[in-house]
Amino acid sequence: MTPATARRAAAIAQRLAEAEATIEALLSGQIDAVVDSTTRAPVLLAKAQDALRASEMRYRQIVETANEGIWTIDENSVTTFMNGRMAGMLGYSPEEVIGMPLTSIVSKAEQLTAASNIESGRRGRRSDSALIRKDGTELWVSLSSAPRFDAAGKYAGALAMITDRTEHREAEVALRRSEEQYRQIVETTTDGIVTVNPSGQIVFVNRRFAEMLGYQPQEMIGKLATTFMTTAGQAVAKAAFKRRAEGLKDANDSGFLHRNGNEIMVNIAGSPVFDAEGNHVGSLAVVRDITESTRMQSQLMVSDRMASVGTLAAGVAHEINNPLAAVMANLDYIAEIVGQLGGSSRGTMSPAMRDTWIRDEITAPLDDAREAAERVRFIVRDLKMFSRSPTEELKGPVNVKAVMESSLRMAWNEVRHRARLVKNYDNVPDVDANEARLGQVFLNLIVNAAQAIPEGRAEDNEIRVTARLEGKRVVIEVADTGPGIPPEIINRVFDAFFTTKAVGVGSGLGLAICHRIVTDIGGELTVRSKIGAGTVFRVSLPEAVIEAAPVAPATAISSATRRGRILIVDDEEMIIRILTRILAKEHDVVTTVDAREALAMCARGEKFDLILCDLMMPIMTGIELHSEISLLSPEQAQAMIFVTGGAFTEKTRSFLSDIPKEHIEKPFDAANLRAIVQRHLR
Amino acid sequence: MAKRTAKAAPVHLRLYVAGNAPNSVIAVANARAICDEHYTLGYKLEIVDLMDHPARALKDGIVVTPTLVRLLPAPARKIIGTLSDRNQVLLALGGS
Repeated sequence: MTPATARRAAAIAQRLAEAEATIEALLSGQIDAVVDSTTRAPVLLAKAQDALRASEMRYRQIVETANEGIWTIDENSVTTFMNGRMAGMLGYSPEEVIGMPLTSIVSKAEQLTAASNIESGRRGRRSDSALIRKDGTELWVSLSSAPRFDAAGKYAGALAMITDRTEHREAEVALRRSEEQYRQIVETTTDGIVTVNPSGQIVFVNRRFAEMLGYQPQEMIGKLATTFMTTAGQAVAKAAFKRRAEGLKDANDSGFLHRNGNEIMVNIAGSPVFDAEGNHVGSLAVVRDITESTRMQSQLMVSDRMASVGTLAAGVAHEINNPLAAVMANLDYIAEIVGQLGGSSRGTMSPAMRDTWIRDEITAPLDDAREAAERVRFIVRDLKMFSRSPTEELKGPVNVKAVMESSLRMAWNEVRHRARLVKNYDNVPDVDANEARLGQVFLNLIVNAAQAIPEGRAEDNEIRVTARLEGKRVVIEVADTGPGIPPEIINRVFDAFFTTKAVGVGSGLGLAICHRIVTDIGGELTVRSKIGAGTVFRVSLPEAVIEAAPVAPATAISSATRRGRILIVDDEEMIIRILTRILAKEHDVVTTVDAREALAMCARGEKFDLILCDLMMPIMTGIELHSEISLLSPEQAQAMIFVTGGAFTEKTRSFLSDIPKEHIEKPFDAANLRAIVQRHLR
Repeated sequence: MAKRTAKAAPVHLRLYVAGNAPNSVIAVANARAICDEHYTLGYKLEIVDLMDHPARALKDGIVVTPTLVRLLPAPARKIIGTLSDRNQVLLALGGS
């Protein structure tokens, strides 16, 4: 390269650089004239002017519409500009304040700070300051200022941006109010709320949760949450904490311990808590006390059964009244006949005629009365079956047909006006269930079937009850010829409180409870229905695995009798009289209506071979008498046989099952009573 | 607007402007501020208004305003724009 070309190259490079700089300056709007090569005169760039004006307007708009106050002062602290927002805050018009010194706008206490800010101020400052309004009052603002410099770099004043702090204060108040609201929710909710840190220590508990467990909130904070749990609850919590650490939420039933040692059943809904960076910082749990609702649930089951029984009470009364009328009428008739015996008219009868007369006039009505009484006895036995408490979870082999028969007798009054009853029982094995509960299920299904059919056309309708064996399962079906269940609600019939019956007729609990009872014993309760054709409820139960208890060997009625000394204790004189009547010919009988007198006899040293004692008596019960006699003479207590109209409480039932001797159920028949007494005298 | 100091390396600048057009006004202010601050030993700043002397434009190879030309020290350099970027301007002028 020659020096000449090198110079030319350098010149070209320089011109290129200049061209580049020119374009850049043009683009950034720093050019205001271009020299026209033809006229050789500079031409002002109108466009650049327009752009400048436009950008100035934009700037002004921003300044005027800004939410912040904008204020500029010159190097002598005299106001050069103030936007409408700030002037408004101070109660001035923007024009009024031009030329106003800083000292008229910033309060005296602030002026010193302002002055030092200005002096030190190459850097923007932010501070809370008080300004003075036109009316002299103070305006609290947050003020950011930045110094301005002229082209020569000299301090040329300052620009300040101002925010009204009243709004901040309002926001603070709003925040406090919202916090207060949350606190109120947390403190007044009926659920317990607890938060724990990752190591399981309690960080916060609301008042309700502390109350649930009998503590003050501050007594619980800092302690391990597990110290308040039952052993089972601790296991649940351990698994739950682990899931929280994995970021999972869920709900569990668990147990806490009240300060007084009582177990509290709860449902815990727990969620993990994360900080702003997403770290797991603990868990929050909402705790609901379900002790009460668990108890309520079992109570509901009892009350539903009571409702079923209640519904049927009228029908049962009717059922009892018929045979009772027969008993009374027949006995009246016999009494009448016997009253006439003294008369002369029968004196002439031959012995054969006399036998016939006795059979027709006395034995036949007596048999009728006895048969009628027997029916009452069945009905009462059925009622007793339903009265058993569900807390007695005794399961055992149950004869499905017998339970179904009891239920049908109970429901007969509901059925008979509506439909014919068709029974179709195969020979099915026993099922493993609780008799009372199964009876409740059957009764519900039968009553439902009956209520599905309108009254009046019993001949045209049918309730069909079938029992059959399908594999290893006993299947019982209750079918009706009612209108059927619409497909849109058939999935809801087992839901609690779902009912189509009128208010007061059904609680909506019946089928829900049936479903639960059947499921609890390993069975299934299903429904199928066809509009216009009727509904079939199907109960499928597992066959009992336990062999049916061997039937007690028939009592051999021994003709060889032994005379014994028997004490009869019963508060009902009628019972004393009939017991005496039955036993007095074969035994020496002593009677009393007061257990205390019986005790006194024993205390005097009187000996009895047998004491027939009622269970439920006022003043002193059979159980009390038994324990008193046991203290005096265990041997004499061993000789007690209880005669009971039904063990209706759990206490009496467990008492009877602890007594080695059998007990006699009311009503009893004479032959059986004599046999039992004889057996125990031997 | 010129200052001179005998012992200093001579600094001669010329700023071409277009009347009172805004960029020109800014450029004048900036040029003065920069010169005052950095050529403390003295300098010569000529302001040429092309509206008054349009003929000088093409003669001196000026196509737009504002343009600052460093005549001395040689070689000549041109800086185009409002001269607002102080550092950039000083770099182009050859430092302080």
